Amino acid sequence: MLNTFSTLMKTYNRHTLLLLLVLTGLTCFGCAKQDTSTHEMQNTDGSEINTATVVDERVDEMDMLLSDDFFENDSVSDDKYYDPLEPVNRIFFEFNDKLYYWVLNPVSNAYSAVVPFDIRYSIGNFVNNLSAPIRLVNNVLQWKIKDAGIVLSRFLINSTLGVYGFGDPAWVEFNLEPKPEDFGQTLGVWGVGEGIYLCLPILGPSNLRDAGGFAVDAYTHPMVYFVDDILLSAGYYSGSRVNLLSLNPDVYEELKKYSLDPYISMRQVYLDYRRAKIHDTRSRVRSDNELSSELQK
Amino acid sequence: MSCPVNFKSEKIVMKISRFFYLVLFLFFLGGTPGIASPGPTEDLKPTLQGMIDILCDPAFSGNEKRDVRREKIMDVVSRGFDFREMSKLVLGRTWRKIDSQQREYFEQLFTRLLENAYIGKLEKYTGQEIIYKDERIKGKKAAVSTVVQSVGTPPLPVTYVMTKTSSGWQVYDINIEGVSLLRNYREQFKSILRKEKFDGLIKVLEDKNTYFDGEATK
Repeated sequence: MLNTFSTLMKTYNRHTLLLLLVLTGLTCFGCAKQDTSTHEMQNTDGSEINTATVVDERVDEMDMLLSDDFFENDSVSDDKYYDPLEPVNRIFFEFNDKLYYWVLNPVSNAYSAVVPFDIRYSIGNFVNNLSAPIRLVNNVLQWKIKDAGIVLSRFLINSTLGVYGFGDPAWVEFNLEPKPEDFGQTLGVWGVGEGIYLCLPILGPSNLRDAGGFAVDAYTHPMVYFVDDILLSAGYYSGSRVNLLSLNPDVYEELKKYSLDPYISMRQVYLDYRRAKIHDTRSRVRSDNELSSELQK
Repeated sequence: MSCPVNFKSEKIVMKISRFFYLVLFLFFLGGTPGIASPGPTEDLKPTLQGMIDILCDPAFSGNEKRDVRREKIMDVVSRGFDFREMSKLVLGRTWRKIDSQQREYFEQLFTRLLENAYIGKLEKYTGQEIIYKDERIKGKKAAVSTVVQSVGTPPLPVTYVMTKTSSGWQVYDINIEGVSLLRNYREQFKSILRKEKFDGLIKVLEDKNTYFDGEATK
């Protein structure tokens, strides 16, 4: 892999240099966030207007919860999702449920019994680190320049200091939080509607937009470019899935336990969670790219 | 253009300010807490802290103290949460169609469900810190955003949506990363109501609570 990299460097020397330059710039942008602990008022040109919009949008975000009279008006909340495929979705939900109890859960339990938590946690880090390109691309596409910088900084720090991404010194030492983004979210920010709700076999809850996003994201993952073998890719995917499950063993079981109709509960969790993330992006993106407004907060 | 020092006027100012302080002092002395209710954050804090205190109290720890502990927690929770409002909102249109006896019974069942579901979860509390971030009031509703900070996991944003009642601000919805607790149950109930009507819903709730009770005695 190192060989390929050096030949790449030679062949595309100019492009690489340019790319590196851009990436370094991003990294600096990402790190700059960490130095903004001094909350001074700076009345430079335009920043005043900027703060005003930031404040307004923050009001909006919390006001959304307050103006949510999801109760008084039944017809409004009825229109908030489209699930015409409910009968089919429920079949796949049952299928996933069986898959969970018959295959995933036993495998995950056996795996947890054999592999200690620390190692599973590190594997989780590694898997996460490897998918950094997806987050980088989507942060840029959503014009979250600062977050893109943080993603890149995290990737560089964790790949080197964190030994190929098994550790997470970027978070522990440098306090750089993960910035998860995916293409479904990007499309949402761009104004693409959710489409119908889907419960996909194996993959679980999704909707038309996010399922499309998922397919696109697969092409930003380095796996596609370094591994040709489809079986190996599938192995990697299921392995990382089992690993993730072994780290969060209770999530699905708790959802099932506390709900009266797990299918509905999961659908609602999925839709609420995705909408909040997209809404959050819309209202935050401008303020985040302005370092001056960050200073004024 | 410096003003000449006028001793007389300064004395008057001092007198006025002394009077002002006296008024302020009397105001606070005489102000009954029932009339001037503090803000939503101030009303939320004792509820959450009260729960944490009970969970951390060694006198109530262990499995054999479970019932006493739950009773204590529910005591704190019922003061800070508005279960009547929650029941009303979670049923939506159906609330208006049922009589007061049914309402009473439903509220009882739903409270039990929440108790079973969430106190069980709370019992796994391991010293997370709650940070109060922001508060927004709009008429009789308020939102208080908090962050649950724990070691080793990313911070978890939790927003409490509250309503103003005769006994101060009370919580009626919990929103975790955009996922509303109340809406989640509401959608589930709606689906059950559509198929099995109100009696069916009551049956499902009873079954669920029986299941939790059976689990507790196991």
